Amino acid sequence: MGSNEIISHLFRSGSGRLGILILFVMVSVSIFVLATFPRNFGSQIWSDPSQWADYPKAAPPQWVNLISEESRPKHIVLKMSQPGSENIYGGSRTNQYSAEFVHSSNEPPSFLSISFSEIQFHTRAPQIRISLLRPDNKEIVLFRHIVRGPRAGETSPFSRYSESDYRTLLTSDKIVLNNVETFFKTSFKDFRGKAFNPDIARHAIFGTPIFEDSLNQTEFTPLTGRYEINIQVISDPRDDIGPMQFVYGGSVYGFMGTDAQGRDLLKGLLFGLPIALLIGVGAALLTALIGTTLGIASGYIGGWVDICIQRGADIVANIPVLPLLIFLIFIIGSKLYLIILVLVAFSWPSLAILIRSMVLQTRSSQLVEMAITLGASPTRIMTRYIFPQTAPFVFAQLVFLIPSAILAEAALSFLGLGDASIPTWGQILEQGFRSGGIYVGYWWWVLPPGLLIVTTAMTFILLALSMEQVTNPRLRKRPLQ
Amino acid sequence: MSILQPLLVRTLSLVVVFFVILFLLVITLGATGFSDRTLRSIVNEDLRGIRTGLAQTIRDPDQLESVMRERRQDLESFYDLDKAWYVRLPGSLIRVITLDLGEARNMRAFEGSKKISRIVLERLPNTMILLTTSFLVTTVIGLAVGTYLSTHPGSRLDRIISYFAAISFAIPAWWLGIILILLFAIQFRIFPSGGMYSSPPPVDSLPRFWDLVLHATLPIITLVLVSLGPYIYVVRTMTINIAQEDFVRTARAKGLRERHVLTAHILRVASPPIVTGLILGLTGTLGGSILIETVFDWQGMGRLYFETFAGTPDEGMIVALTFVFTLMYIVARIILEIMYVLLDPRVRY
Repeated sequence: MGSNEIISHLFRSGSGRLGILILFVMVSVSIFVLATFPRNFGSQIWSDPSQWADYPKAAPPQWVNLISEESRPKHIVLKMSQPGSENIYGGSRTNQYSAEFVHSSNEPPSFLSISFSEIQFHTRAPQIRISLLRPDNKEIVLFRHIVRGPRAGETSPFSRYSESDYRTLLTSDKIVLNNVETFFKTSFKDFRGKAFNPDIARHAIFGTPIFEDSLNQTEFTPLTGRYEINIQVISDPRDDIGPMQFVYGGSVYGFMGTDAQGRDLLKGLLFGLPIALLIGVGAALLTALIGTTLGIASGYIGGWVDICIQRGADIVANIPVLPLLIFLIFIIGSKLYLIILVLVAFSWPSLAILIRSMVLQTRSSQLVEMAITLGASPTRIMTRYIFPQTAPFVFAQLVFLIPSAILAEAALSFLGLGDASIPTWGQILEQGFRSGGIYVGYWWWVLPPGLLIVTTAMTFILLALSMEQVTNPRLRKRPLQ
Repeated sequence: MSILQPLLVRTLSLVVVFFVILFLLVITLGATGFSDRTLRSIVNEDLRGIRTGLAQTIRDPDQLESVMRERRQDLESFYDLDKAWYVRLPGSLIRVITLDLGEARNMRAFEGSKKISRIVLERLPNTMILLTTSFLVTTVIGLAVGTYLSTHPGSRLDRIISYFAAISFAIPAWWLGIILILLFAIQFRIFPSGGMYSSPPPVDSLPRFWDLVLHATLPIITLVLVSLGPYIYVVRTMTINIAQEDFVRTARAKGLRERHVLTAHILRVASPPIVTGLILGLTGTLGGSILIETVFDWQGMGRLYFETFAGTPDEGMIVALTFVFTLMYIVARIILEIMYVLLDPRVRY
């Protein structure tokens, strides 16, 4: 049975074609991910909360708006680097930045935030004023900020916010809430004397008050339409003002939503694909290598080598895998390469036993006898005459070993024993489960990673099943659950 | 003699496996320095407590230091830290093998005892409820559907089941459990999402039992769903293979009733591999119970094993529980071997 035959057989069956198609898509996506994501994505981006501050927390994917009746606000990020207008008057410069956005949902945004960066001033500290122009032409002054002045011993020019941005969460800042209350008390005469509940500040900023005597508290009807955020910076004409960012926090986000820390799940899930393939293929290749080597040695050399290898294989094959996997990884540490090595250590025996039985048949074949008569060394016989005959079978087994490794790693990650520096699907699921995400119905956090694990495992099972007809239908191995 | 010899050989090799695992356990704990590390941190923690106590009475710092040194030596010899791990660990292992499991540091039994054996005995029945029920359900459904399919090969149901079996290779049981929770506990609110009893648990025995049944339904469905597909497939394939043998045709030719042919001729011969499949599935779910009980917050052995590794490391607990898990597995395997030898006459000769 040659390898060409296996491949042609793969294309002939429907499940083989489907498996190859999905595999092709997965490999393409993996190449895309490896080319575009930084190598240290896990430790530098995924596990760093400051990277995800300006993302909505636990937001479902954007496309839920298509399914549900109510449309929830989408996430909007407005970057402002060039001022819309610049006025120099009497030695001071007024820069006016502005950006528009449409608020079309009945629900207010989950948060508003503003961040400044890279401000450099020469004498006086720049003053910043942020206001929001509403569709009813009323303007709320949300926030005033004076950049921190010179410290003792510091020389001009003074640099601020160059290492990390200055960020304010407008919807929970005390001063902003006071400003909003003042705005309502001055702009709506009926508001005077009414209590203003800071909890509903978001509704207030994006709403019009309703005054009814029956209500104890003021309520707000949503005010939809075009809003304009205006930022005024008063500074010395020589000063540099870096780019600013205003974020209108949605309650839906992106294609896959976000987790409770605001992490974009699409990125984590994409990064998990090459990792899953690496775990599966890496562990399967190593297992196949060790299993085949030991199997051929055991079958061909025989004697004490055979007895030792077969007894060893018997013992390892009868070990309760999951409890000991948990134990070993917990003690020796959850590094990805260690996880792969431990998986290999547990999965080589079945292959070694099967290969040995095949070798016992081929070692007495005329081909091998011929090689011996011609004076070939045992190493040469094992590598050039015996291995090629087992190769198609090894290949089919290798494909079957891939889903087992992927599922085993996912199980370990789900128990909290995954490599924390590399996000995997199992870890995303674990965080969704452990943080109680499933009990509040965060389905977008737990369904996609599981579906991806199942799809990836299923792809290789499809490939293996369509190859199984070529090799041997009886030699089926159940992957670890 | 003929039946004893294969049994003895198989049991002996499983016992060897058992000791190899225990050997591995000691090596891993000792050679990685894990054992020394955890014991040292326990000693330091105890010493901190002693120091604050002594500082009240002993004012002289030099005297305090010398008393502390003495205490440290006392504690280190108490925990056997003055001995090397390869001396200390085998001792504690032998204690564990004689079923003296020791005491837990942080974990308590529900009735308050610190004894690990108490904790294990409390949790073991809970795991058994799940495993035996799902085992029985799988067996009954698997045998019924499998033999039915063997008489209808190639039917629509046959094809559906074969896809179902292939898919259940790829679906992690714990993820299936999460989906069932999302669907039936969160969305439709038919079953509770986890735990064994509602809080507060019902007092009377009948409502209490019903409460347990409700809580056990989802985990049992999960366990059955993941093992059913492959099992039906094994039963079906074995039955079909045997049904084509000559002796079955002979039985039919003799005019035996179809039911008798199926039970006494086909299933009797197909039973050893079917039982193997079933018990291998059971030993698989023994490991799987760690995941399932974690998902459903079921207070069994699996959940206990998980908690041991999730909390502060407690070496006594780790050794004891890994021992108990291995023991359960080996016992289940020995039962399998006995059944196999009893069912398959060929093994005896």
